[in-house]
Amino acid sequence: MSDSGGQDVTQELRLPWDDDPNDLYEHAPCGYLTTLPDGTIVKVNQTFLTWTGYARSDLVGHRRFRDLLTSGGQIYHETHYAPLLRMQDDVHEIAFDLVCADGKELPTLINSVLGRGPGGEPRAIRTTVFNATERRGYEKELLHARKFAEASEKRVQVLQQIVADLAAAPTVAEVAEAVLRAPEPAFGAASASIYLVDVEHDQIVAVASTDPTTGDWDDMPRSSARAVARVAQRGDLHVIGSLTEAKEHFPDLVENMRRSGRDTVVLLPLTTGPADESLGAETLGVLAFSFTGEHELSDGELRVVRLLGQQAGQALDRARLYDDARRREERATFLGDLTGSMDELHRLLPRVRRLIDHLVPEIADWGGVRLAVGPQGIDEQAGGPEPDEDLLAARITVVTSSSEPYFPPEGDQVGCVVLPLTARGRILGTLSLRMEPDRKGGPTDEIFLRDLAERVALSLENARLYEQERMIARTLQRSLLAGNLPGGDKRFALEAHYQPGSQDLEVGGDWFDAFMITADRLALVVGDVVGRGIEAATTMGQLRSAVRALATDEAGPARVLQGLDRFVTRVDSARMATVAYAEVDLTTGDLTYACAGHLPPLVHEPVGAPEYLLDARSAALGSRAGDTTRTETTRHLQPGTRLLLYTDGLIERRTRTIDKGFEILAREFARLRDAPTKGLTAALADTLVGREHADDVCLLSLTLGTEERIHRRIGAERAQIALLRADLRAWMVSHAVEPDCLDAVLLACSEAVANAIEHGYRDDPFGSIEVAATVTDDAVEVRVTDHGTWSGPMADVGRGRGLQLIRESMDQVLFDRGGDGTTVTMRRGRREAEK
Amino acid sequence: MTDESVSFSTFGDAELVSLTGEIDLANAPEIGRAIVRRLQSAGKVLIDLTTVSFLDSAGVRLLDALVGDLQDHGKQARLVVGERGPARMTLKLCAFREDLMATDLTKAAAGFKL
Repeated sequence: MSDSGGQDVTQELRLPWDDDPNDLYEHAPCGYLTTLPDGTIVKVNQTFLTWTGYARSDLVGHRRFRDLLTSGGQIYHETHYAPLLRMQDDVHEIAFDLVCADGKELPTLINSVLGRGPGGEPRAIRTTVFNATERRGYEKELLHARKFAEASEKRVQVLQQIVADLAAAPTVAEVAEAVLRAPEPAFGAASASIYLVDVEHDQIVAVASTDPTTGDWDDMPRSSARAVARVAQRGDLHVIGSLTEAKEHFPDLVENMRRSGRDTVVLLPLTTGPADESLGAETLGVLAFSFTGEHELSDGELRVVRLLGQQAGQALDRARLYDDARRREERATFLGDLTGSMDELHRLLPRVRRLIDHLVPEIADWGGVRLAVGPQGIDEQAGGPEPDEDLLAARITVVTSSSEPYFPPEGDQVGCVVLPLTARGRILGTLSLRMEPDRKGGPTDEIFLRDLAERVALSLENARLYEQERMIARTLQRSLLAGNLPGGDKRFALEAHYQPGSQDLEVGGDWFDAFMITADRLALVVGDVVGRGIEAATTMGQLRSAVRALATDEAGPARVLQGLDRFVTRVDSARMATVAYAEVDLTTGDLTYACAGHLPPLVHEPVGAPEYLLDARSAALGSRAGDTTRTETTRHLQPGTRLLLYTDGLIERRTRTIDKGFEILAREFARLRDAPTKGLTAALADTLVGREHADDVCLLSLTLGTEERIHRRIGAERAQIALLRADLRAWMVSHAVEPDCLDAVLLACSEAVANAIEHGYRDDPFGSIEVAATVTDDAVEVRVTDHGTWSGPMADVGRGRGLQLIRESMDQVLFDRGGDGTTVTMRRGRREAEK
Repeated sequence: MTDESVSFSTFGDAELVSLTGEIDLANAPEIGRAIVRRLQSAGKVLIDLTTVSFLDSAGVRLLDALVGDLQDHGKQARLVVGERGPARMTLKLCAFREDLMATDLTKAAAGFKL
């Protein structure tokens, strides 16, 4: 290549001028220092002097190199530079800041070489000094950039965490909580608060704050002039950089900023989208955060702040929809539970009570239902405090006539929501609810309450209709059962009892009837129609008429049942009805009976135990699968025999077998053998089923023939005296005892029993009194026995009069007060009526 | 029970209390209370017992107290009792004052002192 005439670059070029080595030293592009091993400057070039501003004389011989360093540099010199130099004889690119003559610092890079003498002893240090001002600037920038990048990364991390939190926050409250945590780690804010827009109530609600002592911590109307409300309205980010700015734009912030030591406040609307892009962006809340000391937010930070606002807004929007969905679901569940629970009760009043139980205190602090149903109407309430009665009544009148619900404005005196209960175009009444203003929990908005009223009205209307139907059925049934039983015939006595099932059930199909077929033939029937309500009551009436039509002198029980079988082919609702039917020949005492699927009658002759009549049984009326061959059985009954026809409600119980039921009935029937005929069936029902029995119970009892001697045992209760008297009266009538004598015996007997109750059993409500009476052609004799203890002389005026009456009305009276009680024996002659 | 046993009306210028059915130890106190509640302001009182089917000593005690109270307050009371029957018998046996009793309403009302 050199042959071609080109220059050999390995050769030094000759400069166009002579380069003076001294000038090169003095004005080299770097500083030169020569120092003694102890650092004392012995030689320095001009470049160094120009950079540092020192005069040569200031340095040479006067200063050591280390004297020119900053204090940090001096330490570094001591710990690194000097030892390194001594060890390896040279050091490179050590960064030192030199302190210039004017005190400014000059960043430099230093290379030093230690020169040694022939003996290896240190002789001099040569140092080149490079101006590193620019480089240090770059470094600083680099460092700054790194710090910035780190801060930004941290911010991004915080925001990422928050975005993740937001995504996971299912409720508005949790979203608010997550957003609230952002400003401190992300921007270094001192505290943050969050407000949410409540569109329904036109309010901005202060939800949470990391430091509630700052700011006006309360709700405000959306139209408020306060900064938060105005920012929410405008929908863009506001940075109030200083108190001065606050004074100018948002004076309401000044006082709080001053008090809590804040100098910068950021008000960030939480929007469903970027405010500038879509007009549809909706502000759902405002995040407020503040800084101590004036704090300028970089563009990057502002971008991130805006992003946070949108992320939070979208999360709020999502949570709000989710909240809505869940609230709808909760409400649907609530209403479903409510109506389900109400529908368990058929009758109106219990249903109303259950309604109120459900609403108070779950959704209201006080609740009242007023219904214009029935003669008195219904007025039920629960909870408290109660609203002013007059004001509420006035409001209810308005609501009832307008049929429009009333939602009280704030500060309303009644303070009650009044909802009309409208069903099938008719106002049943009103539901009033009072919610305390600070009430938490439970859905109470208008849409829900309207929905509630609608459901409640329908449920109550159904109960009302049920009630109406029940009443009609009950009336119908009563009219059918209330017919007079045959009586006034001394050859027999009848007693019937009907006890409807306990409250919530419809009228049942149990019925009884007794009638004279001929003057000497008595028919008795007890039956049970399948089903309940009006249909059962109607069917019962038809069957009853059918029995009366079919029962003739010639027919007899089997043919009556056959006739009923034919009847049910036309009246299908009577199919499978059960019937116990009996006829009694009053001249012979013969009983002929037949049972179509019904429980066997119970008979109790004067001697022996009660027995069930188990013959002449066949299937229920119109039965297709059962044996409907109708037969009848006749048996002779002794005078004084008692016969009982009854329906299954009397003995059937879920808790015991039917055999047990039969056994108990027979035992109780025997036990009541001596009880007065009157009240016998009621007493049986009372003992066997009690008052709160679910099923209907129907009993018909016949006492046959006239007893020569009557014997009764009664409890020591005042009310029993009348029952006893009825029996005694009937018994004396059947023996044709003359009226005067009869009245006298009744009076004396009543007084004697009253005495036993008032005196003998004064302290023993469970005592019993025995009454036995016989009648002859000449006289009636009565014996009243108690086993009580007569506590004092029979001296009080009232009882004294009683004793006087006994003595006056009877011919002979004998008191026998033994240790075991008292027996009063009384006799009244029949022919001495005009005593 | 009381509702069925007692009813109130007027006969001329007198308050008329009509008793019916059986009156005994079991219901006399209640009947007494019902009558007293109604008769606070009455001046003349007729007590009709013609349809009473039974009257015991508790009933007599009630009538006795009633008549006595009315007289104490300067009011007049008279009983209407059939010529025969349980009420007449009991009252007679107790030696109730004949001058207080009459057999029908008109006679009883005529018996009031002017």
